[in-house]
Amino acid sequence: MSKEVVLDCMGEACPVPLIKAEKALDKLTAGDVLIVQIDHSCAMKNVPEWARKEGHNVEIEEVDEGEWEVIIEKA
Amino acid sequence: MGKILDKIKNNEFYKLWFKDALPYIVGAVLLSVFQIVTFAVTGNPWGVSGVLANWGAWLFEAVGGSVDRWFYFSSPGAQATLEAGILNYGGSWRNLGIIAGALFATLMASGFKFKKIKSFKQVLAAVLGGLLMGYGARIAFGCNIGALFSGICSLSLSGWVFAIFMFFGAIVGSKLLVKFFM
Repeated sequence: MSKEVVLDCMGEACPVPLIKAEKALDKLTAGDVLIVQIDHSCAMKNVPEWARKEGHNVEIEEVDEGEWEVIIEKA
Repeated sequence: MGKILDKIKNNEFYKLWFKDALPYIVGAVLLSVFQIVTFAVTGNPWGVSGVLANWGAWLFEAVGGSVDRWFYFSSPGAQATLEAGILNYGGSWRNLGIIAGALFATLMASGFKFKKIKSFKQVLAAVLGGLLMGYGARIAFGCNIGALFSGICSLSLSGWVFAIFMFFGAIVGSKLLVKFFM
């Protein structure tokens, strides 16, 4: 059974969201989903970039103006 | 109206120019071109934090203070700049341009948001970090723009020296960040 974990990074500036996402994803197993909530546009660039480089499946959803959810499925 | 907005939102050129962040390489090329233009037109390399120090001096004078005897502002050049006033100083317009440009970019991408402050720790770190960066930039006679970027672009050795020590500073800063914010 795969898990879904939500990581609240609202109001956090770079590189905090990235490091938090790295740590949170470490604890998950393949198939699990990590949803990173961010409102910092440069984290919008480096979080998906890092996750894709690691080979995970990444989707980005624009929740509101200046708010995004980066959905990472661990590979 | 809604239909037109939807059309713009899905337009590939809107996405390319306004919605999505420019690739790093495009940013690097644009920064290089603009700093060359700045240097060629004004005769001075591009700087950001020195302008803020002058803004501070004008602010201090506006509330009745005087920086005439401060060593930092004691040169005839610095005195002439302060004498001429904030709006007759090119650096003011460049820095205002950065702020207005950043606001324009985030509005065009409809990414503007007032962010809430998460904790007192965040406020403390921002204030302490800002003071340290401002002070450091002044005793180094430049920040990562004036001393590093413009220094290296002008083929000055000082820019490379700044880069080496900024790298060590970044290591210390990252360790502190992970220690206090993770």
